[in-house]
Amino acid sequence: MKQLKPINQKAGRIEAQVAREEMDVVGLESRPEGPHIPLGCSLVFAPGWEVDSSGGTAGLCQPVERDLFDCHLACFWPAHVPDQLNHSPDWTSQCASAQKDWRKLDLVFP
Amino acid sequence: MRRKATTRRALDRLPAAAMAVGALVFLGARALPPVPDMPSTPAVDLASARFAGTAGAPGQADDEGYPIDSQVIIVRCQRCHERDDEGRMTRISYERKTPEGWQTSVRRMVALNDVSLGPDEAREVVRYLSNRQGLAPEELEPGRFEVERRLIEHVYEADRDVENTCIQCHSMGRVITQRRTREEWELLMATHRGLYPLVDFQAFQGGGDGPQPVDEAIDHLSEAFPLETPEWSAWSASMRTPRLAGTWALAGFEPGKGQVFGTVEITAGDAPDEFRTAITYAYAESGEQESRSGQSIVYTGYQWRGRSNPGGQDELREVMTVDRDWQEMTGRWFRGAYDEFGPDVKLTRVSGGPVVSGVHPRAIRVASSAELRVHGANLPANPDPADFDFGRGVRVESATGGDGDRITIRLSVDDDAPVGERDLFLAGASLRGAIQVHDGVDRLEVTPRAGMARIGGGAFPKGYQPYDAIGWDDGPDGEPNTEDDLRLGRVPVTWSMEEYAATFDDDDIQYVGALGSDGVFTPAIDGPNTDRTGSRNNVGDVWIVATYAGSDADAGASRSLRARAHLIVTVPLYLKFDPWQGVPTGRLVP
Repeated sequence: MKQLKPINQKAGRIEAQVAREEMDVVGLESRPEGPHIPLGCSLVFAPGWEVDSSGGTAGLCQPVERDLFDCHLACFWPAHVPDQLNHSPDWTSQCASAQKDWRKLDLVFP
Repeated sequence: MRRKATTRRALDRLPAAAMAVGALVFLGARALPPVPDMPSTPAVDLASARFAGTAGAPGQADDEGYPIDSQVIIVRCQRCHERDDEGRMTRISYERKTPEGWQTSVRRMVALNDVSLGPDEAREVVRYLSNRQGLAPEELEPGRFEVERRLIEHVYEADRDVENTCIQCHSMGRVITQRRTREEWELLMATHRGLYPLVDFQAFQGGGDGPQPVDEAIDHLSEAFPLETPEWSAWSASMRTPRLAGTWALAGFEPGKGQVFGTVEITAGDAPDEFRTAITYAYAESGEQESRSGQSIVYTGYQWRGRSNPGGQDELREVMTVDRDWQEMTGRWFRGAYDEFGPDVKLTRVSGGPVVSGVHPRAIRVASSAELRVHGANLPANPDPADFDFGRGVRVESATGGDGDRITIRLSVDDDAPVGERDLFLAGASLRGAIQVHDGVDRLEVTPRAGMARIGGGAFPKGYQPYDAIGWDDGPDGEPNTEDDLRLGRVPVTWSMEEYAATFDDDDIQYVGALGSDGVFTPAIDGPNTDRTGSRNNVGDVWIVATYAGSDADAGASRSLRARAHLIVTVPLYLKFDPWQGVPTGRLVP
């Protein structure tokens, strides 16, 4: 790497990232790390509800409130968001825009 | 429009009706409010009768299915669930489930299908079906994590494709705690499609002309989880209401707080399968005392469901399995918006003789001396040090008794004592693996290795994540991660967080929340955060890092031990299928 010099911003970030990883010593850990995915309600969508396909949160739909109405109306996350079709037709009635009015949404126990 | 109107009416009534059925499994305890204006008989609704009747069309195998003779179920359910000459009712007679499974069904019937049930009736329905059409202990065993509400990394080895189909929306635990006929598995898939039409695009259909994922799931589940099994035949023949009254010694481990020891006094309740409890225990590390009282029901002859300190801020739900000999119960007590707090517990019946529940601290270094406490019940008041037998190289120099629940001993371990787990024999009682004789903490592990917290506190509750730092000795072979390694238990560490770099310039660590000095992670508030790019929520990935510099590190060594675990701080759930919830809607946090 000594002969190479980053000439644009992204290359600079890559170099910084590589340097950061070299500093990261985890030799004292019990086992090598793999992607760990704890059991939530859903695991496999990319992006998913709790984690993305890599087992992290970087690829999630964000902020979640931006996506909430679609989830509700289309019944897309039936175990995570109240569905408009059957259980909670009026869930968003107090909430014109989830991004602004998210505090008006209720936690639902079907 | 007709359907929509019906649903709306049902939802309007939901608060009262669902409170009626809520909290039944964990009944014990909760005094359920009366349901006002409860009709004595259900109003006939032909539209919904036709709807449900279609789903439960007769066509089951003739020789299967359980007759139902509960008058409550017949009266309340018959308008949709047709009863045949042998007393079998459509759908209901062709499945077996846990109490949670039955209660979820009852809740759905109230919420969506206009069922009216009083609290006592709903309780009777769940109890009858759990006892007559429950699971045998062997059948429940692989799915205990589901009813014990454990956050684990579960893999369904039997069929990864079917697992993939089911866990797109919910835990596999919900599937493996049910038994159905093939027709009933097919109808269940039809119910999914009816309630959640998008499943065909999400998980059920994979495209092409061949068998679809939903077909493969039906094939596998009918084979793996049929209605009739030898396990259930055997268990249901021998099943009876267990007699659990008496004193039980409690030993447990609570993540974030360590070992707990105490006693549980169980007395008879209002019915033969109901019990009352008086619970006292203490945390071995901190000495903090807990005193609780509660109530429970035992379903299917072995499934303990209870609550202690019901209604209080510190209410714990209890899910335990009573062993076949009625001598032991194991399970989990828990609380928290996501069931994240509470101990794993084991209760041992105290019947006259002494019981040893555990020793704290458990790990003793060779060539050292330490003060330990032996916990249990009916322990000798004036113990003789010679009565304690920990095996070769471990001597008890003094022993001080007390009220029978605890003995304080001074233990000394010889230089040449073999390293390993030691059983304790004391006054006719014994405990396997009571202590660990070790030669130093060789490495650390942070548990859980994959943790999950959920942002909250604004409109939705926070989901916390407690951590433990577990010390390990590499064992006699000196090699890490081999069979002879010794798990030494919690060790004192300093906690910190590090960035888990998932993207360039990842800065999650600034937003996700805070890790306490006790190892409990508290997530940040929910809602969009305008300080973050794209108003991201305070979600993110971080490493939870434990650093150990204890006296057990190699003599003279300056190194400290370090371990880390991956924490996901993620979004809330806006919907929770908690069968015991008494309140169907409403804000938990103002």
